[in-house]
Amino acid sequence: MQRVLGSLLIITATTCGGLLYAAELKNYLEKLLYIRHVIYLIQGEMEYTNAPLSEVFGKISMRVKEPYRTWLKAMVQEVEERREQGFAKIWNRSIDKYLCELHLKSTHSIQLKELGTFLGQLDKESFRHTMQMYLNRLELEIEKVREGMASKRRISSWLGVMGGIFLVVVLL
Amino acid sequence: MDAEKRKSQILQVLAKSVRKVLEDERLDFTYLQEIRLRIGQPLRMIYRNEEKTLPVTKKEKCIVTKEEVRETMEYISHYSLYAYENELKQGFLTIEGGHRAGVTGKVIVEQGKVKNIQYISSINIRMSHEILGCSEKILPYITKNRQVCHTLIISPPRCGKTTLIRDLVRQISDGNTYVKGCTVGVVDERSELGGCYLGVAQNHLGSRTDVLDCCPKAEGMIMLIRSMAPQVIAVDEIGTQEDIHAIEYAMQCGCKMIASVHSTSMEEAKKKPILGELIRRKRFERYVVLQNEEKPGEIQGIYDERGSMLCKECWEAF
Repeated sequence: MQRVLGSLLIITATTCGGLLYAAELKNYLEKLLYIRHVIYLIQGEMEYTNAPLSEVFGKISMRVKEPYRTWLKAMVQEVEERREQGFAKIWNRSIDKYLCELHLKSTHSIQLKELGTFLGQLDKESFRHTMQMYLNRLELEIEKVREGMASKRRISSWLGVMGGIFLVVVLL
Repeated sequence: MDAEKRKSQILQVLAKSVRKVLEDERLDFTYLQEIRLRIGQPLRMIYRNEEKTLPVTKKEKCIVTKEEVRETMEYISHYSLYAYENELKQGFLTIEGGHRAGVTGKVIVEQGKVKNIQYISSINIRMSHEILGCSEKILPYITKNRQVCHTLIISPPRCGKTTLIRDLVRQISDGNTYVKGCTVGVVDERSELGGCYLGVAQNHLGSRTDVLDCCPKAEGMIMLIRSMAPQVIAVDEIGTQEDIHAIEYAMQCGCKMIASVHSTSMEEAKKKPILGELIRRKRFERYVVLQNEEKPGEIQGIYDERGSMLCKECWEAF
């Protein structure tokens, strides 16, 4: 009886692990999609209102969820207080501080930080191109994640179940 | 505007090293008129109407670096140069408090028109001065039956025309012995009159004043007439053909005009192509000519529509 119960628990645990990993993959895709949404909002607001970055971030912070809200609000404060010699430093530091909980892959984090190097520096036309370039790259990354996700989710779910069964067999 | 507020407004837009030099000087920011940063040249300022090289007390002067100019531009533009493209085309940006930062550098021209300024090499920060009550002496001359006359302020740069208009707007809007308080519309193309921040005027413009901030003057005047029905319209530094036509339109709509123009005398203003025509047709009822022989705000003369001088003596408005 104990063996049966133990086996069931092991299989349940590994299956849950597999399912959690699959959910995490989906969650990661949602994070990238939300970042895209935030960047689109920033781009739209900058183009429409032509306002300085602090005003743009301030307005958008009201329309996004956490942790993006805190991230944008913190940037508003830092920009208004002119804490750094260049905006890129503020952008990079705030990403590290407030978006660390997103656990972005280094590629995605670097791409997002690169955007800060150009924000605010260029004239309207150049900045529109730069934003579009980042959004295109992000789109590609999203596509990559999306493409691999279906098979990865299926594999991880099954791997969880099979791994559990394998462990039970080994232990018995 | 109190001295501390003014000090913080100015210091916050300067590169940290330049900021330190100014802080060490222990200046009274009320008397600071200009700060000039030129790459490779000493840091200079105009203080109490006198040019000084900084630091004043030390032999070794502070030479402005390219990095300091870049940093200052970052602070002036709130790290958002794109947002000030239109202002940069005209060669200046207005910062919080209505202070003006003029810039020079490499001009990018597209189809014969200035598109932008790159590689900024010089910055001249000119302080805005709000002197409450500075227009009191001229009000009796530019009003009739407690109503303001169409008035043109003629002045070369740095003579205080913006300061004078700002106070005139406030007095006309609030009303006093000489003028009955009335609705004033201000088209503040360069945010100098109101010094607006997030759309709210930081300077005192009176309780019946509506400000169109960062709006081109000609369009703004027409927008105000249609939307806010002002009794008086005030604009600073008119110059283009469109501005003059809009002024004429506003006058025909029954609005009283308060405007200023860059010029040294009545004669010079009359020679200006379209404005001169307006003067010859006696559209303005009063002309206030300013000068800066000893200090800003000196009134050279006040004239009526026929060009007759209403007050002969030179006196200081501020």
